[in-house]
Amino acid sequence: MKNWFHSWRAAVRIARRDAWRAKGRSSLVLAMIALPILGVCALDLTYRSSELSPGERLERTIGAADASFRDGGFGGQPILQTPQGDNYSPAKEDDSGGWPSGSADLRKALPAGARWITDTQGAAKLTTRHGLLQTDVRELKSDDPIARGIVTLLDGRHPQKADEVIATSAFLEQSGLSIGSTVSARNFDRPYRVVGSYELPDSLDTAQITALPGAFLAPYTKAAEKAGALAPGSSTTYLVQHAGGFTWNMVQEINTKGIAVVSRAVVLDPPADSEVPLYQRSGWGDFNSSPAADAMLLVSLGTVVGLAMLEICLLAGPAFAVGARRSRRQLGLVGANGGSRSHIRAIVLSGGLVIGIAAAVVGTVLAVVLTLALQPFLEEYMGQRFGAFDVRPLELLGIALLAVLTGLLAAIVPAVTASRQTVLASLTGRRGVRSTSKVLPVLGLVALLLGGALALYGSLVTDQFIVVAGGSAIAELGVVAMTPAIVGLFGRTGRWLPLSPRLALRDAVRNRGRTAPAVAAVLAAVAGTVAVATYTASSDAQYRAEYTPSLPHGAVSFFQMEEGGRDVPAVTDAVQRYLSVETRADVSRVAVGKPGCPPWGGGDGCGRYEVVVPAGNECPMWTVDDASEKFTAAQRRKMIREDWRCKESRGGGIYVDGGLLVGDARLLKVLGITDPGAARALAEGKAVTFHKPLVAKDGTIGVKQITDLKAADEAATNRKPVPGKVSSVPAHLVTGDPATYGLQVLMTPATAKAAGLATAPVGAYFSTDRLPSGEQRQKLDAELAKIGAGVDLTVEEGYVSDDSLFMLALTIFAGLVTVGAAGIATGLAQADAEADLKTLAAVGAPPRVRRTLSGFQCGVVAAMGVVLGSVSGLLPALGLRLTEERQQLRFHEQNLAEGWGGDLTPPYVLIVIPWETLAALLVAVPLGAALLAALVTRSKGAMARRAAT
Amino acid sequence: MSTPLAAQPVLRLQKLTRVHGSGATEVHALRGIDLDVHPGELVAVMGPSGSGKSTLLTIAGGLDSPTSGQVVVEGTDITTAGAKELAALRRRSIGYVFQDYNLIPALTAAENVALPRELDGTSARKARGEALAALEEMGLGHLADRFPDEMSGGQQQRVAIARALVGDRRLVLADEPTGALDSETGESVLALLRTRCDAGAAGVLVTHEPRFAAWADRVVFLRDGAIVDQTVRSEADSLLTGRVAEA
Repeated sequence: MKNWFHSWRAAVRIARRDAWRAKGRSSLVLAMIALPILGVCALDLTYRSSELSPGERLERTIGAADASFRDGGFGGQPILQTPQGDNYSPAKEDDSGGWPSGSADLRKALPAGARWITDTQGAAKLTTRHGLLQTDVRELKSDDPIARGIVTLLDGRHPQKADEVIATSAFLEQSGLSIGSTVSARNFDRPYRVVGSYELPDSLDTAQITALPGAFLAPYTKAAEKAGALAPGSSTTYLVQHAGGFTWNMVQEINTKGIAVVSRAVVLDPPADSEVPLYQRSGWGDFNSSPAADAMLLVSLGTVVGLAMLEICLLAGPAFAVGARRSRRQLGLVGANGGSRSHIRAIVLSGGLVIGIAAAVVGTVLAVVLTLALQPFLEEYMGQRFGAFDVRPLELLGIALLAVLTGLLAAIVPAVTASRQTVLASLTGRRGVRSTSKVLPVLGLVALLLGGALALYGSLVTDQFIVVAGGSAIAELGVVAMTPAIVGLFGRTGRWLPLSPRLALRDAVRNRGRTAPAVAAVLAAVAGTVAVATYTASSDAQYRAEYTPSLPHGAVSFFQMEEGGRDVPAVTDAVQRYLSVETRADVSRVAVGKPGCPPWGGGDGCGRYEVVVPAGNECPMWTVDDASEKFTAAQRRKMIREDWRCKESRGGGIYVDGGLLVGDARLLKVLGITDPGAARALAEGKAVTFHKPLVAKDGTIGVKQITDLKAADEAATNRKPVPGKVSSVPAHLVTGDPATYGLQVLMTPATAKAAGLATAPVGAYFSTDRLPSGEQRQKLDAELAKIGAGVDLTVEEGYVSDDSLFMLALTIFAGLVTVGAAGIATGLAQADAEADLKTLAAVGAPPRVRRTLSGFQCGVVAAMGVVLGSVSGLLPALGLRLTEERQQLRFHEQNLAEGWGGDLTPPYVLIVIPWETLAALLVAVPLGAALLAALVTRSKGAMARRAAT
Repeated sequence: MSTPLAAQPVLRLQKLTRVHGSGATEVHALRGIDLDVHPGELVAVMGPSGSGKSTLLTIAGGLDSPTSGQVVVEGTDITTAGAKELAALRRRSIGYVFQDYNLIPALTAAENVALPRELDGTSARKARGEALAALEEMGLGHLADRFPDEMSGGQQQRVAIARALVGDRRLVLADEPTGALDSETGESVLALLRTRCDAGAAGVLVTHEPRFAAWADRVVFLRDGAIVDQTVRSEADSLLTGRVAEA
């Protein structure tokens, strides 16, 4: 044991000094190993630091309070909650589906002697330098000791008076305002002065202002209502301080009043699950994580780490082999002085150990330094402040050990190869064909067959992706193991090549020990790239084929529903100003209730409407609770295919509330509906519809205005007719199922008025003569932001693929790995070929042969790698796509059999070969690698006399 | 100056043959060599290129194995030894000095000398002590902490001789140790080798310079793998010139 230690010390000393002497090569390998370690360490540090402890989290939500009280919203009925207070539901389970609603009185739940402040959150559109900005408005006495930790004051002071606010730095940045500016809200002219800036440690990019309690939201709501607008709602929590805090029992007691509690004491020391009634309910499950999902994550993580290490080993391995080859004489001297094979192995392995340790130290230290230095940027990027800079030594040590392990693994093969050389061969520099292991290719073949069979089974028999992916991974490892044997096969093509490529190929084949790892490294990188590229190209083509446009190509539409469509004219103007509009079709909607009501109802005095499906026109399946009980699958299939009542209107398009719009024939033109009867019908005061079930027997359609929403909801729950006044309008049915992009019924304003329907402007449709440029879009978006209205803008530009950049990045990555691996192998070949080159020069070869030879050596490695990699990458991608097809086909068949309805066209899964990526990899990358190698090789070698042997 | 030849030889070669290749490419590098080297004796091996000088030396040190015959080093037959035993033998009994690049560039002179001892499992401190002592004894103490590229060729070769004899090693096999040196430096290297042999080591020196062979107690002439003549030192001076001119 002791002897072993002493001889290793000598080995490490030699390796350490050697690494220092060959600084270029060492730093290359060091960087290769250290970079991923740096990344993983930095990720770990960032993750751990941003992961808040329960205490830190509490400080950011409830400040210094002992608990926060929040109205459960169930009208004061008892509730059950989780210890964290993030989830609760009424204590009484109700099968009818209706839950109690209403508010509870928070103050009644406050224990005697408690001190409290309120924290109210709402929203408003605030005036900014650029226009209007939707902003969170908070009312909190931010300088109260209880609130300490919720907001961090950055500059200025806390508000002291009712007309003072503080604003987040995100708000100030977005609004262009600063401390000292005044803000006011739309419909509410009272000015507020910004006296300070702050940040929310958990949400750095939230635009928010904070006023004193009661200073903003109440007067704002009043003013907005007066202006006919609906003010957004607000919610209040009580931050409570109480001697002794709130125990779990106290929390449960408060729950009986319908109030949810976040208690510091309970969160920091939660009760056992058995003491939480909510957890004892049937159907309660923690869906966030399951052991299976965790295991899956662990397996995928392990696979990624394993593959990354394999790739680094394959890349770094040849570098160690170069080192071992260069110091062959030195290793021979050690042998002559009594170094045994194990000593030689130890010296080369120590090279891996030394670089691995150096990479571990460099990577970890750099990660800590960089994470510390970049902390503010990381926090901005993640949108939240770190809790504390959390260094977990054990985790970092584990990651660092990976670096050491990678270094050692990368040096294993060169070490074994070096130790197999006889001392005499090392000393004299005699070269020979080093035989490669015969076991490895056999193992590789077994893995290839096994993995291939598994993947084939996966793609043809099951529809389990994991089987295909796992099988492909095993098969690919098999191909990597078989690389030396396959490289041998490539050698047979040599006899037809001219001198330089023939020499290069023969040399590569004769020295498989150094060629194979480089080829394998290229193979692995290219295979991954081709697999992902093929899969991405295929799914991209699929998305393109399945894309349903929202509007005719080039058409534009917008809806603006808030405040009775108040900003519709301004938005219409903006669209016309910035886009090249041909036809404009203004549209309105049917409005029920006060002006300013949103279309979906809600708010006092607001209602909604629906287009009636006349009795007898309803699909029988949809009027019963469970169609699968009432009808057989055969009946359902028949109805779906043949019954016109069950035919769903064409999918796609944009969401049109109720499918009904009030407009004129110009809308038909924009949408490309050419039915000649339709325009005529509109002119005659009829409604035009595209959906047969809406038309009653007497040829009319009915629009029902619903004013009592509560009664309507109850009726709907019990499958009873919804109460409301129905206006009948004579209708014209457009047959032939044209694409209407979500529109089901269209009538003119005159027709609507005649039918007693009030309308409100809601937006416009436009046809344009060309697609907007990026600049036009940006200008329009800026203008819309200034208007500050909530606008749903749709510009139909056809299918836009966002994968091209991703594919390019992948190709570049694979290209870099290929050039790197081929370059290392070429360096190795050059070191070996020195004697050949001298002989060549001696027999009169021109100096450029040296260059062309090194170019071809590099090209040969790259070419072998990309060919093998492309083949091994295509297969798993194809397998995955076939599996996907089987899966979708199964869903489709099940859908058909059960008569669930929906899309009846059978799925087809496209398989697209990414020819551009393949061409780049197969042709451009080897060519580039060869040219690069030829360029960086000196054409003149030092002429030295051949070593005497 | 020569020690009594009756003592047990440090190196004994018996009926040594070495055949490279087979069939048409068969080359007889050594044909039945018999040679004993005793403690305190320095034997020079001379001969034309391809006569088998270097092969003799590599087989004597166990770096290559003979086709037939015996190599006995300090009483051990190394032709039957395994790779590990041979390595151990090179650490403990046999020292090599080559024509050039003898030292490991990553190690200082002292570390180079200490290497065989460290590989043998001696603690670094003890090995360094022995190495410093060896260097000191040969008047090379001032070079201890220099790296090979900070030393002259002659200094490097002398350090190599120190390494060849560190510890209990008594057999130095030197393959043209002066080949890359100018004649003056060469003389100083051989003087050192001579001194070590006088102190009890056994040395085999391959050279084709008669001047250097003159330092030997005995000169062995090889031609086509066989010993064609042996001369003891007393008669060497008169014989050398004529023989070598012939070769």
